[in-house]
Amino acid sequence: MSLAADAFVSQIAAAEPWPENATLYQPLKEDQILLSDCASSLAVQAYLRMCGLPVQVVCRANAEYMSPSGKIPFIHVGNQVVSELGPIVQFTKAKGHSLSDGLDDVQRAELKAYMELVNNMLLTAELYVQWCDDATAAEISRPRYSSPYSWPLSNILSYQRQWEVRRKMNAIGWGAKNLEQVYEDVSQCCQALSQRLGTQPFFFNKQPTELDALVFGHLFTILTTRLTSTELAERIKSYSNLLSFCRRIEQTYFEDKSS
Amino acid sequence: MGTVHAKSLDPLPMHGRDLGINNDDLMEPPEHEQESKQEILENKDVVVQHVNIQGLGRTKEDLLGYEISDVFLARNLIDVMKKAHLARQRLLRLGIFKDVEVLIDTSEGTDALPNGLDVTFEVTEIKRLTGSYNTMVGNNEGSMVLGLKLPNMFGRAEKLTFQFSYGTKETSYGLSFFKPQPGYFERKYGHNLTLNMYKVTGQFPWSSLKETDRGVSAELSFPFGMTNHTLKWEGVWRELGCLARSASFAVREESGHSLKSAISHTMSVDTRNSAIFPSRGALLRINQELAGYTGGDASFLKEDFELQLNRRLFWDSVLSLSLWGGMLYPIGSETSCIADRFYLGGPTSVRGFGMYSIGPQSEGDYLGGEAYWAGGLHLYTPLPFRPGKGGFGDLFRTHFFLNAGNLCNLNYGDGPQAHLQKLAECIRWSYGVGIVLRLGNIARLELNYCVPMGVQSGDRICDGVQFGAGIRFL
Repeated sequence: MSLAADAFVSQIAAAEPWPENATLYQPLKEDQILLSDCASSLAVQAYLRMCGLPVQVVCRANAEYMSPSGKIPFIHVGNQVVSELGPIVQFTKAKGHSLSDGLDDVQRAELKAYMELVNNMLLTAELYVQWCDDATAAEISRPRYSSPYSWPLSNILSYQRQWEVRRKMNAIGWGAKNLEQVYEDVSQCCQALSQRLGTQPFFFNKQPTELDALVFGHLFTILTTRLTSTELAERIKSYSNLLSFCRRIEQTYFEDKSS
Repeated sequence: MGTVHAKSLDPLPMHGRDLGINNDDLMEPPEHEQESKQEILENKDVVVQHVNIQGLGRTKEDLLGYEISDVFLARNLIDVMKKAHLARQRLLRLGIFKDVEVLIDTSEGTDALPNGLDVTFEVTEIKRLTGSYNTMVGNNEGSMVLGLKLPNMFGRAEKLTFQFSYGTKETSYGLSFFKPQPGYFERKYGHNLTLNMYKVTGQFPWSSLKETDRGVSAELSFPFGMTNHTLKWEGVWRELGCLARSASFAVREESGHSLKSAISHTMSVDTRNSAIFPSRGALLRINQELAGYTGGDASFLKEDFELQLNRRLFWDSVLSLSLWGGMLYPIGSETSCIADRFYLGGPTSVRGFGMYSIGPQSEGDYLGGEAYWAGGLHLYTPLPFRPGKGGFGDLFRTHFFLNAGNLCNLNYGDGPQAHLQKLAECIRWSYGVGIVLRLGNIARLELNYCVPMGVQSGDRICDGVQFGAGIRFL
């Protein structure tokens, strides 16, 4: 589709209100989904809940291939399909729902910088632990990733994915790192986030933004997911304000709705 | 008698040839006829004592024995020439010799009979490895195709072919190994084994679907009475994806990887006199495929048949009736995959409708159906006023056609009565007239004027002129 047509479609989309039957697609929760995908999916769910937009979560074994960008998660709203947090934020903004409208230019720049930090550090670290740490890859990632497929497709796909991620790690210079260095990077990222948060309820004062959703998605998932080692979660647990931040968002946006 | 080159029968005198054709009657030659033949051709009763093959390199001699053994049965010179000529053609058909020359000479040596002949085949083998390359442009894509062929791999006409296509968008390859049963080189009559390994990519715009298949298959074909059978196992890794971002969600839901392992059996009887423009005879082909019992994600039973009857009428016109049908029965809780379902419509099936554009669809993307039938009644006639008769004009036919068909999904909980009712409602049909061009003996082109009828909402029609090419026709 051409750019003009794309713009036209998104304008039409803007005119339509948020439908009741909006759906979020992610891999199978019990057997398949991996830490990084789970974190991204949770971030989008948190964001939509903060916006007050209802969405139904559907698990599909082929969610990754259904997604137009090949990334988890994606939402199906009306006849539009949008994947990943960034484009989804843009999409909801076009429909008149935004959490960052009240921010000034400096804050908006800061918001962008911190979101990049989280994506570059936490998400990359999650991918590294999943696929580059041999023990985790063999015991958790590969079996889970390939669980919906039968042999020999299961082996082909999981090794293909592992090879892909490792190639990406080499490209961004993470290939030479060891696990300890990655944990150290996570610590530094958490320290930066912890300092920015301080004693505020959210990163930008009293109102949550997409940054809060993103940080919550990643930290909460790391804290609650069992890996071969608890080191990653331990690093986060040393920042008490981040822990209480996670607990606060969980209570505000996830426990109220479900009860 | 000197040396006779029997490379072809053409230089022989006309009457000699006529006698040769009658030689079935001469198998036990009555003295009478023999004498008259001696007069005409200065011939006599002969015995083929030796058949030699010269120029063999890696080809095994036992393979050729089957092809040339008939030569020993010849009883006179014409017969020897005829049989040697046939043997030469059979040798060439193996596809392992560049050239074959036949040399017929009187026998020499200690055991030579006075009327003994020696036949010598001088063969030139094809190179161990042949290659080709070409470039193709089309469908918004350019590609380079590289082909390699080992025509005589182990010396018994085994063929190994490899084709690699490197395109601007897609690469594909195919590796195929063919092992004929010695003496039955033609696929139709022998127990032939074919092994394949391939990767192909297909784009199906009517479904907004892209499919990449990587697979291996083993195929055994053999005759049984009048019928030919093919047993096949195929293991395919299929990757489905959307062709465009605008693809309907129903197609998007089918994206991803799956593994199909299927055994299939095809039975066919073909008594037609030509595959493209038959004037008499019938074709029946029944195909069944069982997927899932040998592993893989897809499990279903698929039945499919094709029937064609031809009858010659007055003035070289031919009436042809065809009927197709098929059913896909998913086994277990899984629903059928979009790649396994049937599709109908287009210039080579139910004419007057868009390519595969009949039946269930979602946002303009056709999803296929689990059951279908289609029938066609054609009247083929030569071109009006018969221009180019006996030559170029015979590549063409005009035809009047009446096509009908239906494609739908069945609710397998209901009985057969309900299924038939479902298949009988909303029948699409069309009629029209057109010109058919035969391309070789495998494909044909059609230019038709069609009038589609019974159009259902969602069907894409082609009202008026429709052009089509293909190898399978309703």
